[in-house]
Amino acid sequence: MNPIRSLAVLAAAALLAACLSAPALGAAPQTRADAEKDPILKAMLVELDRSMTQLQLPGFAKPFFIQYRIVEVDDFTTKAEFGASEGSSHAHQRVARITVRVGDYKTDSSGGRGDGALELAALDDDPIALRSALWAGTDQAYKSALAAYAQKQAALKQVQTPPQADDFSHEQPIIALAAPLRLKLDEADWVRRVALASGLYRTDASVNAGQQDVEYSTAEFHGRVATEWLVTSEGVIVRKSAAEYQQSVGVGTQAADGMRLDRSYASTGNALKDLDSPQAFAQHALGLIASLTDLRKAPLVEEEYHGPVLLSSDAGADTLRYLLAGSVTAARPALGTQARTNGPFASSYHARVLPDFLDVQDDPGLKTFDGKGLVGAYDVDDEGVPAQAVKLVTAGRLSNYLIGREPVRDFPQSNGHGRAGLTGAPRPAIGVLEITAKNGLPDEELNRKLLEMATDRGLKSVYSVTTMGGDLTPRLLSSVEAAGKDMYVANSFGDVPQTVLAPALLLDDVTVRRANEKNEKLPFYPPPE
Amino acid sequence: MLTVQNETDYYASSEGSRVVAPHLGARVVVFAMTRADDGMDLFREQTFEAETVEGLPAQSELEAAIRKLGKSLEELRKAPVTEPFDGPAILSGRAAAVFFHEVLGHRLEGQRQRGDEEGQTFTKDIGKDILPTFLSVADDPTRTKFGASWLSGTYEYDDEGQKARRVDLIDNGVLKTFLMSRLPIASFGASNGHGRAQTGRMPTGRQGNLIVTSTKSEPESALRRQLIDEAKQQGKPYGLFFEDISSGFAVTTRSSPQAFQVIPLVVWRVYVDGRPDELVRGVSIVGTPLAAMKRILATGDKSEVFNGECGAESGTIPVSAVAPAMLLSEIETQKQAQGTARPPILTIPGADTQAPAHKEAQ
Repeated sequence: MNPIRSLAVLAAAALLAACLSAPALGAAPQTRADAEKDPILKAMLVELDRSMTQLQLPGFAKPFFIQYRIVEVDDFTTKAEFGASEGSSHAHQRVARITVRVGDYKTDSSGGRGDGALELAALDDDPIALRSALWAGTDQAYKSALAAYAQKQAALKQVQTPPQADDFSHEQPIIALAAPLRLKLDEADWVRRVALASGLYRTDASVNAGQQDVEYSTAEFHGRVATEWLVTSEGVIVRKSAAEYQQSVGVGTQAADGMRLDRSYASTGNALKDLDSPQAFAQHALGLIASLTDLRKAPLVEEEYHGPVLLSSDAGADTLRYLLAGSVTAARPALGTQARTNGPFASSYHARVLPDFLDVQDDPGLKTFDGKGLVGAYDVDDEGVPAQAVKLVTAGRLSNYLIGREPVRDFPQSNGHGRAGLTGAPRPAIGVLEITAKNGLPDEELNRKLLEMATDRGLKSVYSVTTMGGDLTPRLLSSVEAAGKDMYVANSFGDVPQTVLAPALLLDDVTVRRANEKNEKLPFYPPPE
Repeated sequence: MLTVQNETDYYASSEGSRVVAPHLGARVVVFAMTRADDGMDLFREQTFEAETVEGLPAQSELEAAIRKLGKSLEELRKAPVTEPFDGPAILSGRAAAVFFHEVLGHRLEGQRQRGDEEGQTFTKDIGKDILPTFLSVADDPTRTKFGASWLSGTYEYDDEGQKARRVDLIDNGVLKTFLMSRLPIASFGASNGHGRAQTGRMPTGRQGNLIVTSTKSEPESALRRQLIDEAKQQGKPYGLFFEDISSGFAVTTRSSPQAFQVIPLVVWRVYVDGRPDELVRGVSIVGTPLAAMKRILATGDKSEVFNGECGAESGTIPVSAVAPAMLLSEIETQKQAQGTARPPILTIPGADTQAPAHKEAQ
């Protein structure tokens, strides 16, 4: 392991191919009557109908689209440090997000931040209380929409270049009713388990000789179930539910020169059974703690290195996520510009963005990999559009973008990637991002190639990166020489859960620089006995 | 909203203090708001406090209070908007308590007597009359009850490990001292047990239980007669009765220091010609409310308790204020400049008589 903090890889460019994705959803024929058996959906539909038929300020436009989304989050967190619990917290709430659009699909009131309104909603299913929250939010969202629509009309008069796409896409409404999940945990057991994990640095005989150097040792468990109810004036009715669980541990020390050395590990999944067993988790934690001792003794990286670097599949997944996740999404560009979208790949449609042996797709329909649940998977996005598998990079060239219901030039439809957190508006995001290599090599082969490259270039040593940390700033990855065959599953716990599946990457020419961060004083006293 | 707290503070200092002090509290806050047809936002808020949940009012009592609050909002919504006024007024005990906490109490915090950025209203007034001679003001955190009411500003030790004590701030109108933390000021070098803070903040001089007492108290009926006489004398058609005023206590500007202002919520016109009292809305007090305190003519004979949360630089802490009703010879008010937004377009669900447009499919 080397403390590599940043990577900068240069690239060339070319062009080719596009590939449109095919929708895939075997939707059961469910009806509005089925939906109305759910008291929450029933209340939402009653208020939606009332708003669509009656809500209008005299002399102003009626809404042409209303969406109600209620998300119930049941969230449990427990934390420990230095071998003892620091307490737990339990949050259980329903948040309603109300979107109102005035105008039409071509030009509507949407834009910028703050579309829509938020309200806390009743946790029990009292229909009047639920509807009252929706009513208050609808009133506010409608008035804001009228103001935003007028502002947009004014802004359109200021720009010569017209918008490059419609404001809102037409989509086929669906009804999809999944059964809600429940957060069922042995909370006391998790409190005990994280306390134990955070104390391993001093209780486990294999590592506790180094305990005087440990500056922090924390562990955490986080369980979260989010159930969403979504209705739109176009006829969408969706109920869906997702769970995420994570146990994590973090330890840190300083080297004698003051350099901070931090290690962390997390086991993440969408079912408790997917998390590490207590024994496996303890092994990982002990590995981290032992690595602190090694890292403290390790020599400092040279000031600058140019040459080959092998990223493990874990490090590869991190790097590719930073490089791709924010680049392959398409969002409406600034008014008056001819841009297709924003971000690093805004002008890269059909261009070469990766070496030609790499393919990238996002497939939220991929629920498991190697028997492990993928937290980024989903059936229907947060705009009520069925998730589609989207081939993003084919033979190294960008062939598509991930998009929700706000079209950009050449992409008039959603491909089911409009995703939202608890309170935010939907925006395009990855679900399960898969990077695959043609002719991927086994790890031994990659190692052999790395050493060959070293010999060829007369280098005394080369770098093999096990894991990444801190800020990554990868640029284009065209100098990938080869990639692995085995995939790493990187599940990211979060408000919008995501998964990246990636191979190891052998990079031909990488610049590695010493981090050169401020080295703070070591603690004045040893820790308590 | 129900908040129940069971806190234990552990305090140890290099000077040898060793303090373990419990802090219990239970609070129900009821907040309701409406918007008048002209767009004016109106709200009422009521808190119930006790040391533990068992001390909170029974459900029936809470419901009655909420109904009263709702009714009061309904009446306010329909009430006429105030006209500018300069004349006599009565503050109810509750209103006077809030008024003293905000207008006087905060200005007597020790740290406000130092630093260029502070107004230093009373810094050089030690030994001088700042209130009418029949009024005295103490802050007494050692007191847990006033009558039957729990005082939420109670504590045994402050957040700097100092023993809580009663401090006579104003004695027969004369300013004696300030609310002191361990931050010295020019005239006082030591704490008087009022260094308070929210967990994690730096303590400063803060109020606990601010108690206003009077030696010139009269039954409230007499106070009302005096109000009418005073209005007549000043040639005014009516005097004002401030039933409820709000502050930074439990409202939106919880942690903002500008909460030292007071917002009248329920104000009545008391006519000199014997017409029934008339509720008005949109009243705002003009100028420095401090001036009004010097024009207190008499007080009522019953004190009222206001329990709440007080926000300032050292965070949000529980406090109480206790005061009798007060008659002021002059207070200046104007129309409040607030809220022009439209009321909701559709009626609130449950209140609408129209059937939902959709025919339900079951």
